[in-house]
Amino acid sequence: MSAPATAGAPTAAAEPSLTPVFVRLKLSLLRNGLRQSSGRTAAFVASLVVVLLIAAFMVLGFLLLRGHGAAGAVAVLTTGVFGLGWAVMPLFLPSGDETLDPSRLVMLPLRPQPLVRALLVASLVGTGPLFTLCLAVGAVAAVAHGTAATVTAVLAVPLVLMVCVALSRAIATANVRLLSSRKGRDMALLSGLLIALGIQAVNFGAQALGRTGDLSVLDTAASVVGWLPPASAVAAVDSAADGDLVLAGARLLLAVVALAALLWWWRRSLVRLMVEPDGSTIGAAPDTVKDPAAGRGLLARLLPGGRTGAVMERCFRYIWRDPKTKAAWVSALAVGALVPLFNAFQENGSVYWACFASGMLGLQMFNQFGQDSSAFWMVAQTIASPADAYAELRDRAYVMAAVTVPFTVLVAVGTAAVAGGWSQLPEVFGLAFALLGAMLALGVVVSVRYPYSIPQDSHRNVAPGQGGMAIAAIFGGMFAGPLLCGPLIGLLVWLRVSGHHGLLWLLLPLGVAYGALLLWGALRLMSGRMARRLPEILAAVSKG
Amino acid sequence: MPDQAFDGTFEPTGAAPENSGAAPAVQVEGVWKRFGQQIAVNGIDLVLPAGKFIGLVGPNGAGKTTTLSMITGLLRPDSGRIRVAGHDVWRDPESVARVKARIGILPEGLRLFERLSGRELLAYSGRLRGLPGAEVDKRATQLLDVLDLAGSQHKLVVDYSTGMRKKIGLAAALLHNPDVLFLDEPFEGVDPVSAQTIRGVLERYTSSGATVVFSSHVMELVESLCDWVAVMAGGRIRAQGPLAEVKGSAATLQEAFLELVGAHDRAAAGDSLDWLGGARGDRS
Repeated sequence: MSAPATAGAPTAAAEPSLTPVFVRLKLSLLRNGLRQSSGRTAAFVASLVVVLLIAAFMVLGFLLLRGHGAAGAVAVLTTGVFGLGWAVMPLFLPSGDETLDPSRLVMLPLRPQPLVRALLVASLVGTGPLFTLCLAVGAVAAVAHGTAATVTAVLAVPLVLMVCVALSRAIATANVRLLSSRKGRDMALLSGLLIALGIQAVNFGAQALGRTGDLSVLDTAASVVGWLPPASAVAAVDSAADGDLVLAGARLLLAVVALAALLWWWRRSLVRLMVEPDGSTIGAAPDTVKDPAAGRGLLARLLPGGRTGAVMERCFRYIWRDPKTKAAWVSALAVGALVPLFNAFQENGSVYWACFASGMLGLQMFNQFGQDSSAFWMVAQTIASPADAYAELRDRAYVMAAVTVPFTVLVAVGTAAVAGGWSQLPEVFGLAFALLGAMLALGVVVSVRYPYSIPQDSHRNVAPGQGGMAIAAIFGGMFAGPLLCGPLIGLLVWLRVSGHHGLLWLLLPLGVAYGALLLWGALRLMSGRMARRLPEILAAVSKG
Repeated sequence: MPDQAFDGTFEPTGAAPENSGAAPAVQVEGVWKRFGQQIAVNGIDLVLPAGKFIGLVGPNGAGKTTTLSMITGLLRPDSGRIRVAGHDVWRDPESVARVKARIGILPEGLRLFERLSGRELLAYSGRLRGLPGAEVDKRATQLLDVLDLAGSQHKLVVDYSTGMRKKIGLAAALLHNPDVLFLDEPFEGVDPVSAQTIRGVLERYTSSGATVVFSSHVMELVESLCDWVAVMAGGRIRAQGPLAEVKGSAATLQEAFLELVGAHDRAAAGDSLDWLGGARGDRS
């Protein structure tokens, strides 16, 4: 450690020159990147033109909004959305900017303080920051009335820009460490899904807002977002225009404090990155004893003993711990709940949509062994007879049912609460459970007959060459499931049309029995085949 | 131990040596395996005696993993017959069930259920084999202790190092006290300390009369551990028998092995690189 100490003085003296070095580095990297191919240059120029056009329209829009009652709310909310965008961006484009990749700077004798300053200034160069600058100027221009507001605006614009950039950088730097650990990679797999679900929720919200057409919702949202940096800086300008200088000062101060905190976090992450470059072992180390009884936890005590308990326990653990299984379940649960509930909010909503939930979750039974990947050998080693195969498949179906049945009841009750139709619940449950039985039965058949691999180390969910089979199996199942429930649906329609409404409750016991019968039939049909096909299944799920 | 006597239907052919009397742990008869155009295992015959520490050696791509996978029921042979502990691995379910109950495997290149902790993996694996829960937990605790994994028993296997993975895989393979243990490259990528631990456990296990079959391409290791060796190359068995017999007049197993697989000629081909290590002139 003596080298940095002796090099300290000259580095300190050379401090002022570090920032221009990084800015020049960034510009030459940009130039060299463009020089590599004309296509890249064209793409860059085109995107620049588009960005500038949008920015121009945005500034124009803000200027037109000036004086309108909703101007403050729109300016604050737009800034908030931009802040969120900057925060989320590094998760999708982790290596977007080479100058900001700290692992490339590890070997250089750089001190953290000037380094953070230089990196901050360097990251202000680019189309993204330019676009944000336009937004900030437009947003404050829409709300700045009077001298006090103008002065606040002059301070707010650079603050907005710097908070956005620092937020993005701090998250990216923290993310480098996160992504190099196993847990981080697991989370990265899930984060895309969560963001997609978040966007869907925002979409629903926007549609609801569009229908009511009530702008007071905007004001409510803005009053909250107005306290979150970087939007608080724009809200400060609005407050100053209203003459509330104390409020304006407080909001501006909040943005300054946030900027300082972000820079501190960024610097801390940078320093740790530079002295602890190998994140993989750091990430893995603190994973020791959390739950001393993990081997025999609460889950194990609730489940039956023997093979059934062991299989179910492992399946439940995998739903929670395996990123791919978890992602599949989270999306099935979210879609299975959102679609019926969202439909319930429409005028033509129906409690029958609850069947969608049981169908979506039933789909998780498909390709059971692909979820095991090549670890399926451990299962194959303990299956010698059709009876063993029967038990294995049945126990996995139990896990599906243990989650799906209560979930379907919840969704049906929730849908009924919104859309009405409490009296229809028994027949809905009957249909839903029959559909679940049909999906589980099909899942058993598909898992044994058409297993395919789910590669564990990539974002893809199917190994090359097996995509067609995977899609055919899933879509075939989605059509065949309702088709198998045909007799029950026929009975339902007949009871309704012929006016025997008093007998509709019969569908509940009939549906449960029918679903169970389908599953039992599939298990009987496929267990022998599974016991004979173990090496073939293992080969299919080990690809990729 | 095998409860069924050698039924006499098997006749050692070719390189397979005469059996010494007791029922062999593994008998392989005319087994073929082809992947597309490539023949991975080329009609091999193999007799591995019970109660021995057996090494299956050969260069990369010799067919060791394919052979072990077929013996343990993980890969279906194209033709031929395999018997383990007297039972046919690929015939009827009852015979397969007897084989599976009697063997333990540590495969190479296949995953474990890695999102379980070490202890959970053993608990799962033991219960799947139908052992009583309390017995599984007792054996797991002892195995984790002996294999030096007690400190990491609650860590997920996905976060284990290579040596720890091999050790937890070995524990899972030993949990049901099998007659025959098949280990594919158990020492590959394992640090010396873990290797010593594994070695100690295996030596203790064979001293009880059980059979260990393991594949490796580290000859020194095989020479120091095994009393019986089978040499494989290019999908064929080149030699099999007691270590001393296979070694013959060669000083080490390494030399005997190079001779058997015909690699001595290739080493001599290094002569054509006569410029390598020669005088280095001015290259400016």
